[in-house]
Amino acid sequence: MELLQALGVGFSVALQPVNLLYCFAGVFIGTLIGVLPGIGPVGAMSLLFPVTFQATPEAAIIMLAGIYYGAMYGGSTTSILVNIPGEAASVVTCLDGYQMARQGRAGPALGISAMGSFIGGTASVIGLMALAPPLSKFALKFGPAEYFSLMVLGLTILIYLAHGSMLKALLMAAFGIVLGLVGLDAITAQPKLTFDRMELVDGVGLVPIVMGLFGIAEVLANVERQLRREVFDTRIRGLLPTAKDWLESRWAVVRGSLVGFFLGILPGGGAVISSFLSYALEKRVSKHPERFGHGAIAGVAGPEAANNAAAGGAFIPLMTLGIPPNVVMAMLLGAFMVHGVQPGPLMMAQNPGLFWGVITSMYIGNIMLLILNLPLIGIWVQVLKIPYKILFPLILFFCLVGVYSVSNTVFDIYLMIAFGAVGYLMRKFGYEPAPLVLAFVLGPLMENNLRKSLILSQGDFATFVTRPLSAACLAIALFLLLSPLLPALRKRREVVAMEEVA
Amino acid sequence: MKREDIGSSLFWLLLGAGVAYAGWDLGLGKLRDPGPGFMLFWVGLIMVGLSLAIGAGALRRAPGAAVALWAGSRWRKIILVVAALVGYAYALERLGFFLTTVLVLIFLFKAIEPQRWTVAVAGAVLTALAAYGLFNLWLGAQLPRGALFG
Repeated sequence: MELLQALGVGFSVALQPVNLLYCFAGVFIGTLIGVLPGIGPVGAMSLLFPVTFQATPEAAIIMLAGIYYGAMYGGSTTSILVNIPGEAASVVTCLDGYQMARQGRAGPALGISAMGSFIGGTASVIGLMALAPPLSKFALKFGPAEYFSLMVLGLTILIYLAHGSMLKALLMAAFGIVLGLVGLDAITAQPKLTFDRMELVDGVGLVPIVMGLFGIAEVLANVERQLRREVFDTRIRGLLPTAKDWLESRWAVVRGSLVGFFLGILPGGGAVISSFLSYALEKRVSKHPERFGHGAIAGVAGPEAANNAAAGGAFIPLMTLGIPPNVVMAMLLGAFMVHGVQPGPLMMAQNPGLFWGVITSMYIGNIMLLILNLPLIGIWVQVLKIPYKILFPLILFFCLVGVYSVSNTVFDIYLMIAFGAVGYLMRKFGYEPAPLVLAFVLGPLMENNLRKSLILSQGDFATFVTRPLSAACLAIALFLLLSPLLPALRKRREVVAMEEVA
Repeated sequence: MKREDIGSSLFWLLLGAGVAYAGWDLGLGKLRDPGPGFMLFWVGLIMVGLSLAIGAGALRRAPGAAVALWAGSRWRKIILVVAALVGYAYALERLGFFLTTVLVLIFLFKAIEPQRWTVAVAGAVLTALAAYGLFNLWLGAQLPRGALFG
């Protein structure tokens, strides 16, 4: 009954015309950037950050969330028709989706991918609704020690799942914390690492960092490689999967939705890892594993359901604990804060309209996406034909003007360019940007909770290990950090990391 | 990656040491009341430790498995793009939004993957106009008119 009431509140917010418009804008832009390789959801969200300043908090978050889950839909179109993933979570869709397109079955591949995405996305919204209220109530019992340890665990999982060197990922997280601490001290108001620059007194902005590391650096990497792509030239017919297609993929969709949702809750690129795990799972349970890689429809349906379900699951830690599990959610946390809203256990009670409005908007957004990606697929095929040499100057330009319009200062443009160059070099030298950004957002929260815990415990570090939840989080984090020393676990981590790179 | 890892670890080592010093300078406070430099100091020390571990790991690695990081890369294009971006930041408040945007976009369209002049000029002008409409008129951002145009 309580849930029905909450849903009523949510739909009354989500169905307001202005929120519907922002929801549509979000899923449309999400699909667009999902289709276009070279700019991911993080870059697009930071580009559109300024747009949200004019909007209400509900409209802003509804739009930014729409970009995220919309990108999951759009990414598969590029994977199927071009054999290049539109974004990282669609890498695995290339394997069988493109093969299906080559066999003249581009229509059913796109169809099952949109339907699988819809089912996965909707299932995750239901899961989010069911899990968020009890988790919020539970989180009310957390003190600063629990929050600090949870954030340490969140960062550690992200570092553990980073591809490549864990030491480098740890170093990036440490650097991210340092960047997050720039500005006035929260307690003494002393300037920290501001180098007497007025622009740094408020801290380093999230937008220049994200746009630099994910927008500019991505373009630089593509310019270096001369990205070529050819759209699979075929008439797309019969988008609706046949009864046989459904029979072959129904359980893949169910399994993908479950895997995606639960992995999405964990920090560290849930959408990417869940799509790979779903593919591996489908191959293992299939009676015809030899068909995988040669156009098996379950190899498209499962991962697509999984990456969309993961996108929904990722909202749980942010909305109930106020802790973002990945970079996209860190961007959303930034948007919440710009509007003076602190996500966390109290959000559901203090801002029920916003909390349930965002959740219910995802139902509506998923329906919009189904329409955008099935009957209107032709538009996206045309978009795919825009050459990158026309696209990249526009992406660069929108990064420049986007970052300027947030703060009206040229300093932030220079900052973004610097992070762009650093991000490009980081890719070259094998350093990952994701731990840096998440740590940048979590850094000030971690410092605040660490200092509060020490003040409350009269300087006794034992507070972190005598409180059961805090102790459990730190124990898991320590285990993950030391696990590379154990050969069997190191091997398993390398497999996951390799799959993510592939 | 051996040489690259040693180079990058040296960079992070210096940075970490600088951060730790800045934290120390700000004041560590006491455990029961940590000062503003407390977290910076410890994170800086962690950075030093990690960069030493990366450097030591690279030193232990056998030479010969070198990966040519810059082989086949069009690094001149990268420099051109970065120069265009810096030029944009430098000129924005001097020449104004519209002129700077048109000039830099034409440069990017022509210098990196050369386009026909008509495509470059039309693309640059249309993009500048659309962005002006979107950011200045709709979103109310104050895009600079430039010192030249007052």
